[in-house]
Amino acid sequence: MVADPPVPEVTAGVRRRARLLAITLESRAPDRAAAWYRQALGLSEADPLLTSGGVELRFTLGTTDAPNAAEPARIVLNLHVDDIRAAEARLVALESVWVRELERTRWGIIGTVLDFDGNYVQIVEPAPDSPPCLQRKEESR
Amino acid sequence: MTTPTLGSILLGTADPDRLRDWYAAALAPGDAGEGFTEVTPTMFAGTFGDTSLLIDGRSDVAGTNPEPGRVVLNFHVDDARAVVEHLESLGVTWLVELEEREGGLFGTLVDPDGNYVQIIQLGQAPP
Repeated sequence: MVADPPVPEVTAGVRRRARLLAITLESRAPDRAAAWYRQALGLSEADPLLTSGGVELRFTLGTTDAPNAAEPARIVLNLHVDDIRAAEARLVALESVWVRELERTRWGIIGTVLDFDGNYVQIVEPAPDSPPCLQRKEESR
Repeated sequence: MTTPTLGSILLGTADPDRLRDWYAAALAPGDAGEGFTEVTPTMFAGTFGDTSLLIDGRSDVAGTNPEPGRVVLNFHVDDARAVVEHLESLGVTWLVELEEREGGLFGTLVDPDGNYVQIIQLGQAPP
C-alpha cells in the first residue's frame, strides 16, 4: 500500500497569484487600432490572436473621440524586441509619431511612439545588464 | 526575427509607494508572491506571469486617472472567488462586482489611482 502523497501547502500569496494575460485598449476605431498593432508587431492578418509575448491585446470602442490620451504617461506599453532597427522600420512605415527617437539609455535602446489612439508605446532593446524584469523574455506562445 | 513581447506595462503615478503597496497586497506579484523589486527609488517592478508591471513615480500625472476606461489590465487567476474575498478584506472599490459571464467569472475593480483592473477566471463551471 502506498501512502497518499502529501498535499502541497498553498500559501496565500500563491493562491491569489495573478497573471497579466490581456490588456484592453479603448479606441475610437478598434479595427484600425488593432491593425496598427499588427503592423507594429510584425504580425500577419492570419494570426488568430493579437498577442505580444504572452499578453493579448484587445480593443473596444471608446466613448470619446479625443485623438490622444489626456495623460499619455499614465500607462505605457513596453514592447521588448531583439532587433530595434527592424522595429523602428515598421513604425516608420506606419508613419508613427515619434515622442522620443531611439536613444541609448542605462536600460537599453529605447524609442517612444504614439499608437493609433495616442497612447505611448515604447520599443525597447534591453541592455545585457539591465534588471531581469526589464529583459526580453522568450515568447510563451 | 521574433515577434516583440510585451515585456512590461508601465503605470505612471504620482504616488508610487501607494500603488506598489496596493498591487503587492492585492495580487501577489512574483512567482511565489514575493512582491515588487526596486528598480530605482521611485520605480518598482513586479512580475505577473510573462510580463511585468512597472510602477513609475512621475510628476506629469495627477493623483487620479482622468480617463480610467482607456486601458484595462486583465489579470487571470485560478480562484476568482478567493481573490475577491481577499480583495474585499483590503477594502477595494468595485466597478463591477464578480459575475458569471459566458466563459467564466469576471469582476472589475479600481486601483488607488483610479485605473481599472479586471479579475478573470476562465472556465469556471456554475456552482
